[in-house]
Amino acid sequence: MDTISLDSLTALDTLLSDEEKLARDSARRFIREEFLPDIAGHFENATFPTEIIPRLGALGWLGASLEGYGCAGVGSVTYGLVLQELEYGDSGLRSLVSVQGSLAMYAIHRFGSPEQKERWLPPMAAGKAVGCFGLTEPDFGSDPGGMRTTAKSTSGGFILNGNKTWITNAPIADVLVVWAKLDGPGQEHIRGFILERGMEGLGTPPIKNKMSMRASHTGEINLTDCFVPAENILPGSGGLGSPLACLNQARMGIAWGAMGAARACFDAALEYSTSRMQFGMPIAGKQLIQKQLADMAIEITKASLTNLHFSRLKDKGRLSPIQVSMAKKNSVAQALTIARTARSILGANGISLEYAPVRHMLNLESVYTYEGTNEIHELIIGRGLTGVSAF
Amino acid sequence: MNILVPVKSVVDVELNIRVKDSHIVEDGLNYILSKWDENALEAALQLKEAGGGEVTAVTVGPARSGEALRKAMAMGADKGIHINDPATEGSDSWGYARVLEAVARKGSYDLIITGRQSQDTDMGSTGAFLAALLDLPLVVNVIHMERQSEAGRLEVHRKGDGDTEVIELALPALITANDSLNEPRLASLKGIMAAKKKPLETLTLADLSLDASQVGAQGAAIEIMGFEAPPGRAAGKKFEGEPEEVTAQVVGLLASEAKIFT
Ligand SMILES: Cc1cc2nc3c(=O)[nH]c(=O)nc-3n(C[C@H](O)[C@H](O)[C@H](O)COP(=O)(O)OP(=O)(O)OC[C@H]3O[C@@H](n4cnc5c(N)ncnc54)[C@H](O)[C@@H]3O)c2cc1C
Repeated sequence: MDTISLDSLTALDTLLSDEEKLARDSARRFIREEFLPDIAGHFENATFPTEIIPRLGALGWLGASLEGYGCAGVGSVTYGLVLQELEYGDSGLRSLVSVQGSLAMYAIHRFGSPEQKERWLPPMAAGKAVGCFGLTEPDFGSDPGGMRTTAKSTSGGFILNGNKTWITNAPIADVLVVWAKLDGPGQEHIRGFILERGMEGLGTPPIKNKMSMRASHTGEINLTDCFVPAENILPGSGGLGSPLACLNQARMGIAWGAMGAARACFDAALEYSTSRMQFGMPIAGKQLIQKQLADMAIEITKASLTNLHFSRLKDKGRLSPIQVSMAKKNSVAQALTIARTARSILGANGISLEYAPVRHMLNLESVYTYEGTNEIHELIIGRGLTGVSAF
Repeated sequence: MNILVPVKSVVDVELNIRVKDSHIVEDGLNYILSKWDENALEAALQLKEAGGGEVTAVTVGPARSGEALRKAMAMGADKGIHINDPATEGSDSWGYARVLEAVARKGSYDLIITGRQSQDTDMGSTGAFLAALLDLPLVVNVIHMERQSEAGRLEVHRKGDGDTEVIELALPALITANDSLNEPRLASLKGIMAAKKKPLETLTLADLSLDASQVGAQGAAIEIMGFEAPPGRAAGKKFEGEPEEVTAQVVGLLASEAKIFT
């Protein structure tokens, strides 16, 4: 019997330009040849191969969708396809790239002064400086508007106090975009600040014992009377809308990325089920397994087409944040279900790091929660549909 | 140094290729840049980066072959030439070499680098035919290249029978690249964006003063009668028994049947 590949089934290629396919192919090759051979070991040891970061820069993947300052300036589909391939490798890698480009660099690109952009964006695009984005606090996750981190004006700059937690890249970051409430009360005073490694009063302890995103450095940002010079405030930032605009940038990329993890799990499940013999035949010949594989292929196709459609809208400037929530919630939730199913198809081997599904399954638990939890996106969609806020 | 790199768009053999009625089923196939051509291109780019000059990629084929050219330019080739003429369809290596000869004569190149063979037919003759047609010195299967010792000369190494041959070439010349020559670079996003602005010339046979009868199926010296799908893999052999016995059995068969120890 002839078989048909998932790529042929989704037939996404028929909707892509040559340039988009080329970008996808470069990332695909990089992941399969240079990244996948070592990733299970990094996950097990809770390390990340930081030496590849300059290479990510050279390939144009850091801040890829931004214009100027050494960035490639590609469209959302190209960017999404690259992130999808990177997350085929590992969600930790994709997180690093998303945080660097769509959060830290985007914040500087959008809200920064010309001097700040000149100073920070080129080394960040080249992967010579790593960035992070500190919004979440111990007591304020889904509701960041209540943040307690403060910035007080002082001569020549600001004094920052407070704690951020669950911050991707914080322990290895050279450039830390931190959100804090400047002096007076109210959300309109939330401003972005660029902190630099080595500033006095800045600590970035790592968060240990994670069972997810192990190949990604996550940490706290502790600020104790940390002096930040006046030229390091992001002049264009103001209000909670500023960090939320950054998150909105990153979310389409996360929707694409999650489908990369889903595809990796599907590939593993398909390969395993066609070679694993039980009851005298490959388990792929069993109807229950076939239904699981069919459902995976259908959900991957649906989510991929949604991601493509919404990214094309984004490039036309016609994508609403509600659509972004639909894409993020759906892709990640489907990817998580697919990862869990793939894990089960592999039986006991499914819990071994020798195979990809359990690693993706564990990682996707984080992706389900960060960048707006699954429920927060449901509330955004629900509010859009009904006009009633249920937060 | 000005370098011409002929590149070919070939079927991606990683996907299932199906044969029906002695023809390859084109439906659902994916086309890629032939892998040895990537080595040829990488070699050309390294020479250019070391000593200046220009790298031109050329392909002969239908519209979809343009993708191979765009990839070559995204990797760093400065310009592309696409010979897109239905008359070239069905060409054998000789036909392609004739078209490439005409392209080479239109420009002025110090070096032509081809892959040692194409990934689809594995024939490996286009480069040699092209060298013959242009009356150029030829070294096939190059595994290493030295920077120019002096202008107009190039030192290359090729794998001989057991040892390495070191050859100094007077330019212009033609070499064909082995895949151990280098590690082809990935197309970066900036390269992909820059490629959109690079000059891409599309030519027909008439532009090259070639006649349709010289190429394609008409001008071919050989005719491919059909394709057969490779036979399915036979089941492996299973050995049972005590480890010592089985080891002796397997080693015996490896020597007598697989002849791996000779
Ligand atoms: C690996 C990892 C990396 C991260 N990286 C970063 C980073 O780089 N920068 C950063 O700023 N943050 C980062 N985060 C933090 C992340 O954004 C938060 O975890 C997320 O916003 C949720 O906040 P919380 O964990 O405090 O959960 P909570 O907000 O306490 O939510 C707990 C549960 O309650 C639900 N819930 C909350 N509010 C409502 C409601 N109104 N109605 C119904 N249900 C509700 C949630 O959906 C969730 O199920 C990261 C997190 C992880 C796990």
